[in-house]
Amino acid sequence: MDPLTNKLDDAAAHEQAQQAGRRAAIEDLLRAHPGVREAAAIQDGGNKVAAFVVPDNEFVDNVLGRAAAGSTIVGKWRKIFDLSQFSKQATSACVGFNTMGWDSSYTHGAIPADQMHEWVENTVGDILRLSPKSVCEIGCGTGMLVMRVAPHCDRYVAVDQSSAVLGRLRQQLETIPDIARRVEVVESQAADLEGFGESTFDTLVLSSVVQFFPNAAYLSKVLEKAVGLVRPGGHIYVGDVRSLPLLRAFASSVELFQAPDELSADELRGRILRRMERDPELVLSPAYFLSLPRRFPKISTVEIRPLRGRADNEMTRFRYEAILRIGPGAAAGREGEFLDWNERRPGLDEIRSLLRRHAKQAFGIKAIPNARIERDLTAMAILEGADAAYAAGELRRKAEQDADRGIHPQSLFDLENEATGFAVFLSWAACRRDGSYDAFFVPKESLQGAALPPIGWPEPDAAEFARLANAPGQARFRDQLVALLAAHCRQNLPDTQAPDEIALVDTLPRTADGKVAGPELLRSRSS
Amino acid sequence: MKGRADIRAFVQGLLTASGDDRPFADSDSLLFSGRLQSIDAVEIVVFLEENFGIDFAQVGFDKEQIDSVDAICALTESVAKSN
Repeated sequence: MDPLTNKLDDAAAHEQAQQAGRRAAIEDLLRAHPGVREAAAIQDGGNKVAAFVVPDNEFVDNVLGRAAAGSTIVGKWRKIFDLSQFSKQATSACVGFNTMGWDSSYTHGAIPADQMHEWVENTVGDILRLSPKSVCEIGCGTGMLVMRVAPHCDRYVAVDQSSAVLGRLRQQLETIPDIARRVEVVESQAADLEGFGESTFDTLVLSSVVQFFPNAAYLSKVLEKAVGLVRPGGHIYVGDVRSLPLLRAFASSVELFQAPDELSADELRGRILRRMERDPELVLSPAYFLSLPRRFPKISTVEIRPLRGRADNEMTRFRYEAILRIGPGAAAGREGEFLDWNERRPGLDEIRSLLRRHAKQAFGIKAIPNARIERDLTAMAILEGADAAYAAGELRRKAEQDADRGIHPQSLFDLENEATGFAVFLSWAACRRDGSYDAFFVPKESLQGAALPPIGWPEPDAAEFARLANAPGQARFRDQLVALLAAHCRQNLPDTQAPDEIALVDTLPRTADGKVAGPELLRSRSS
Repeated sequence: MKGRADIRAFVQGLLTASGDDRPFADSDSLLFSGRLQSIDAVEIVVFLEENFGIDFAQVGFDKEQIDSVDAICALTESVAKSN
């Protein structure tokens, strides 16, 4: 053996062992801190080490004071909903159709009534497909869903934290005794709901409400309670959830819409970043819901669906519904092959002929480009490469011109009504940032009434599990924890051994064999 | 009794806290323009309840009433007159 090579190998091996020792020391030290639930130290090129930390929620809530700040946020939203009921518009609203507070982020005006009608009817349709008989709705508001779903149920418990809102709901119920006799109205915050036994309901609804929760930890507390309240075979329907993978596309879309023609690309980029950072609402990755069965084993199936609808608004473009089935579930499995849309790029007509050819066999198509947001994505791509002075007006015109058409999700849902014999299921579980979606076509006769047939949807990249939600109003708690941990490392490790960087993540993504996925973690920092 | 200067200073504080250091006129829209968000409206409401004794359950609430310094001043004056 070449003595020189041998020497270099020895040196490299020595260096490797030193770095492994450094990483292990960092991980041990961080794991011993009460603010840390999990930690992984990853080599970040050369001699740099990045430490990734999953914070301990109780520490952040109780020691750093996030819970108190969260209560303040919950209280502020309650006040907003209370106030909304003191308006002239609210007092004159139709029974079961009070859309106060449903304002467009684009125009700051009310979302048009016809679009709200379509949204509520589609939401109701999706809930009724779960065949609910005994429902608990948390965040019922003035009863848009109560008035439409309760007539199909034996019992409907309507929960909200705003007394003014519930006052309005009670007034409305008085006018419709047939619905009123099925409905119990309860004033409570979502996390404090008490007085109902285990397995009381077959369906628990959280529609258009989780965005007003202060953080994902609060949502997890609510879901923990919800999982207990729903009986086996039942469902938790979480509707109108703002999508984290599409947060940048949403912020870009709104800012470009509002930008004056002459606004420069640099200024526009700044506005988009500010909107993302300042977003006061909770924005969740589908990966958050996909990770729930590990925490709550009673959840057997998770479906992540883009919304139905032709209306073009921020709900249909950037929000989804998560349906959690409480076990026992149908065995998860792949019922048929998924074709990659990009291989043949089929249009609607070709998909129709695929349905004819597959006759009675289920199959899927993955990564279908989403016509609802093609223009937004095109604008984002142009903006990314634009010179500092490129004007917003020009960007709008170019995006309009260049946008590919994609396939509208509702066009696929509509295939169900074309006597194709197939039921259509769509999914955003893959968490792609381009908003593309997967479709699965199941022969109706093989469904046998199942609301959620077992479909092995394409899964997200492991890096998606590192960041499950945004952190509205939480920057200071995160900064505080990182500063505490950095000081902890400095005090307990020699300067050369401390991590070069500490980053907070929601979970540590893992490879199939259970090891921490280092490259995915490093990549998650830039997303 | 607090007045326009206090209202303006309060609004200035809200804008600064949300990272907006652009100048603003008393007639400029705050909420409908998107410079402040719905959740900031609560801060204005609490400020008006605590410092001007306004009870929104009584006087009714519409975002227009608090959308600018001018609108807020008009609201406080009309409530003061009716008391």
